Amino acid sequence: MELELKQLRDRCLTDLNDVEELKTLDNVRIKYLGKKGELTIALKGMGKLSSEERPIIGKLANEIREEIENNISAQKQLLEHKEIEAQIREESIDVSLPGKKHLAGNLHPLTTTVNELKEIFLGMGFSIAEGPEIEWAKYNFDYLNVPQDHSARDLQDTFYYQDDIVLRTQTSPVQVRVMQEQKPPLRIISPGRVYRCDEIDATHSPVFHQMEGLVIDKGITMSDLKGTLDLFAKKLFGEQTKTKFRPHQFYFTEPSAEMDVTCFKCGGVGCKVCSNTGWIEILGCGMVHPNVLRLCGIDPDEYSGFAFGMGLDRITLTKYGITDLRLLFENDLRFLAQFK
Amino acid sequence: MFVSLNWLKEFVDIKIPPYDFGEALTMSGTKVETLTVVSENVVNIFTGKITKIEPHPNADKLIVCTVDMGTDERVIVTAAKNVFEGAIVPVAVDGAVIADGTKIGTNDFRGVLSYGMFCSIEELGMNTDLFSKEIMEGILILPAGTPLGMDARELFWLNDVIIDVELTANRSDCQSIIGIAREASATLDLPMAGFTIYAATESSNQIADYLSVKIEDQACPRYVAKMLKVKKIEASPLWMQVKLLNSGVRPINNIVDVTNYVMLELGQPLHAFDYDSLQSQEIVVKTTTDKKIVTLDDKERNIDETMLMITNGQAPVAVAGVMGGENSEITEKTSLIVLEAANFNKGSVRLTAKQLGLRTEASSRFEKGVDPELAGIAALRATHLLLEIGACEVIEGLIDVYPCVEALKKVNLDVNWFNAFVGISLTIAEISKMLTRLFFTVEKISDHVLEVEVPSYRLDIELKEDLAEEVVRIFGYDMIPGTIMGGETMVGGKTPVQKFQDALKNILVGQGYYETLTSSFTSEKRLQGLNSQREDNLIPLINPLGEENSIMRHTLVGHQLEVISLNYSRKNPFGQFFELSNTYRKNEKPGELPIEEQKLAISSYGSEDYFDLKGAVELLLAQSGIKYPEFIAGGSDFLHPGRKAEIFVNGIKLGEIGEIHPVVVKNYELPKRCYVCQLSFDALFECSSLDNKFTDLPKFPASNRDLAILLKSDIPAAAVEAIIRKNSGEILESIDLFDVYTGAQIPDGYKSLAYALNFRHHERTLNDNDINPVIDQILSELKRSFDAQLRE
Repeated sequence: MELELKQLRDRCLTDLNDVEELKTLDNVRIKYLGKKGELTIALKGMGKLSSEERPIIGKLANEIREEIENNISAQKQLLEHKEIEAQIREESIDVSLPGKKHLAGNLHPLTTTVNELKEIFLGMGFSIAEGPEIEWAKYNFDYLNVPQDHSARDLQDTFYYQDDIVLRTQTSPVQVRVMQEQKPPLRIISPGRVYRCDEIDATHSPVFHQMEGLVIDKGITMSDLKGTLDLFAKKLFGEQTKTKFRPHQFYFTEPSAEMDVTCFKCGGVGCKVCSNTGWIEILGCGMVHPNVLRLCGIDPDEYSGFAFGMGLDRITLTKYGITDLRLLFENDLRFLAQFK
Repeated sequence: MFVSLNWLKEFVDIKIPPYDFGEALTMSGTKVETLTVVSENVVNIFTGKITKIEPHPNADKLIVCTVDMGTDERVIVTAAKNVFEGAIVPVAVDGAVIADGTKIGTNDFRGVLSYGMFCSIEELGMNTDLFSKEIMEGILILPAGTPLGMDARELFWLNDVIIDVELTANRSDCQSIIGIAREASATLDLPMAGFTIYAATESSNQIADYLSVKIEDQACPRYVAKMLKVKKIEASPLWMQVKLLNSGVRPINNIVDVTNYVMLELGQPLHAFDYDSLQSQEIVVKTTTDKKIVTLDDKERNIDETMLMITNGQAPVAVAGVMGGENSEITEKTSLIVLEAANFNKGSVRLTAKQLGLRTEASSRFEKGVDPELAGIAALRATHLLLEIGACEVIEGLIDVYPCVEALKKVNLDVNWFNAFVGISLTIAEISKMLTRLFFTVEKISDHVLEVEVPSYRLDIELKEDLAEEVVRIFGYDMIPGTIMGGETMVGGKTPVQKFQDALKNILVGQGYYETLTSSFTSEKRLQGLNSQREDNLIPLINPLGEENSIMRHTLVGHQLEVISLNYSRKNPFGQFFELSNTYRKNEKPGELPIEEQKLAISSYGSEDYFDLKGAVELLLAQSGIKYPEFIAGGSDFLHPGRKAEIFVNGIKLGEIGEIHPVVVKNYELPKRCYVCQLSFDALFECSSLDNKFTDLPKFPASNRDLAILLKSDIPAAAVEAIIRKNSGEILESIDLFDVYTGAQIPDGYKSLAYALNFRHHERTLNDNDINPVIDQILSELKRSFDAQLRE
């Protein structure tokens, strides 16, 4: 019996050594250690042994079993290792080949600019208000204190759908709607599309974009107007940006101003972008005219406020150094793909 | 408007450098665009008188001139044809530099030495636009009596700085030298000089023998007339010509130049009539039924009864406030003139000028509004000048029809209100001082209230806010501190709709689509290219910029196709685009604005097919929380009839998708295959659900079954899927069509659809007993509906 077991062990170890693939390794285990394996069968014969022999043979059988198992697992490790090595050898690639193409799109640069402006004002507690592009003439002019005989109302300047309906020439009518529909305090911006009868060229387009801002509350001062817009300019163009407020005139504000910022290209020294002035005109603003407040149902003795408006197309052009407004509306992919 | 700094300095002693002055004016509200020295280069050009002209011994085309330079005599050789003995001309002497930078020396002209050169207007660096070709090309001949040996820089004000100012619409009072001088005086806190007007004591009202004036229309608040006898019509003196030139006005003759001079100086347009040509002893300001008038520019113009005319009682002799008539023009024969200084309503002049298509220096001033008080002063200022330059003799008496003199406005300014409104603290004395600098008359009526009397020419001042701006602009906008708003905290932020708009754009960008920006206009013709029926709900414009921009678009598709066409023509091999933008259509409800509907258009060419675009749309819908969209064959006429679908969710139509119709491909010059999807934003938003809610991960395993179904080709996959869903109950977790097969082993007219079905129960493991009946049910329903079979 002892000899028989040792021969069985030697046969098994030889078989194991002959195994070259992992998937055949298990056959060896089954052949010797399986339910019907040789060792199992051999051990079943132990019942015939004397009580002296039984523990000795039993011990030997267990030792052999352990030895076989150890060898199987060692062989398994070896084969696994070989297999991985072979796989690695076969699978090496030219890592310098180009990666697979993934398409990337992007937002239009005007949208990116508008998003940036929105974020700045949203951060100051503003909401975004919207209004129709095809608008009552009274909202576009009358409620904004524009004189009845002003040339802005002419057919040469403003597109008309009907005698009393225009394509809004500014985003300011949204101000009127907000003031009429909501109670102060108000803090809104309103970006949107506006229209004027300008033939398209490098700096003009009959369709363009503006952003209006409006703040109404008790005790709003001109000093608040300056502080808010100065902060806006610093956030948009960088901390070092300075602002300059020049007196100006708009019908819906009094006092009125235009705001220049130090040229973000040259920092104020003078360059092509700022026509050597060091300054770039960014927006018009002012304290909301008492007539406008009154026309919109707000008591100017109780409330005050300021409004501002800026040309989004122009800001986009200056921000990215785009030289021709027409490029914005042309949508050549070679243009669109430049703005990540 | 061009303003001569030298002229300005006659009223205000401006000592600071021109650039600083420009900055100061800008910061007080008169925006200075540019500052230009008339001629920087010119040196060593002096006046000289040609005393003798001799032919050149060796050249036919040259002449030899002896020139008296005042202190010496010199010989100048020239080819100029317009010089003559006795002419006073500008002479560039040895060492001179002319406007273009050329240095002038002594030159030998075929054996005769020329000690310099005669100069033209251009060589002096003056404004050549204002002269006729003959004058511009010849040597400039100066008026007789011009002193000799005078430096051209002084004589022609070549040192003068021309200030281009941009005036705001409300400051009509600044449309003059005196107006800008008042601003300069207030800004720099310097005194302001006056000017001389005709103020002789007259002993008769001689004018009444010649003329009377009647105003028959309210659009003329005042009409002042002064009559003068002409001594001689000739060129005006050089100093006057130079001032006109530096203001951008062409000198004509002494009479006309004076009217222009006073208009530039004071801002009151004047007109001079030839008295004899009026053929009448009265001037009547009224509208007429005449149909035509020939204006001073020799053009016949159609007039009508809405336009205010100056008439001789019968026929019009001038278009009020716009331009004089040719029939009463000043000529060399004129012996008596009527000088008109009148005031016309801005609205009336604006409409007339607009209807005539004629904008003049006069009309543009009246359009902005002119102070009626100015008419009288201007008439007397012009009289003074006409006498001073020796052009005229006065006829005694003045006609002044001024039916309704308005009292000066008074506005109260509460200093406490002012300080609170602006956010500064000025004393009543400081505020009072600043208003005084601006020529307001100020009276303190309490310890914190000022009563401010507004000068007649400040037509823009009505309210306390107007006064606040006046004070602040003199105080300095840059002196106001910047503060952060107080008051209630406001949350602000985006609305759900605004967030959804951003989300849609981001999803598409992430899928490789580029956002476009296109115009809102389209046209009948562009829409026809879309192969569609004429729409009757369009929004046409009354005054479009050309036919191709005559309608507000009701669809984004045309513009997307134009984007594709442009990119295709520019050899960009493929493109994927989208735009979220408004479309416009008629509102059937009367009294309401047109309907503006946002649409989302997605388009592609070059790299994609229908299913790529559909996949992108499906992902967009899935990301928007929209489940089970149905794509049902059909859609608009611009799409390929066999490759188009309308998209529905729960019976709501979201939009349509498809390949572009071959006819439209041709019309729009598109690549052969283009794909477009257009969705209604409102419908998308309505169906969307962006709330994210967690559900437990499944604890029990799923069971997968693959089904290959054989059925007729024309049965849409969506219908098969609908039957599978309907018969699977809640245990169907997902369905995936992984193969569509036709070809070998499949009969003609049939196709095989292979689905992977995934079943799962969230409370237990499913077994065949659960799933087999479901599969049987699906198969029998497919058989019943479509005669479909399981493919073994």
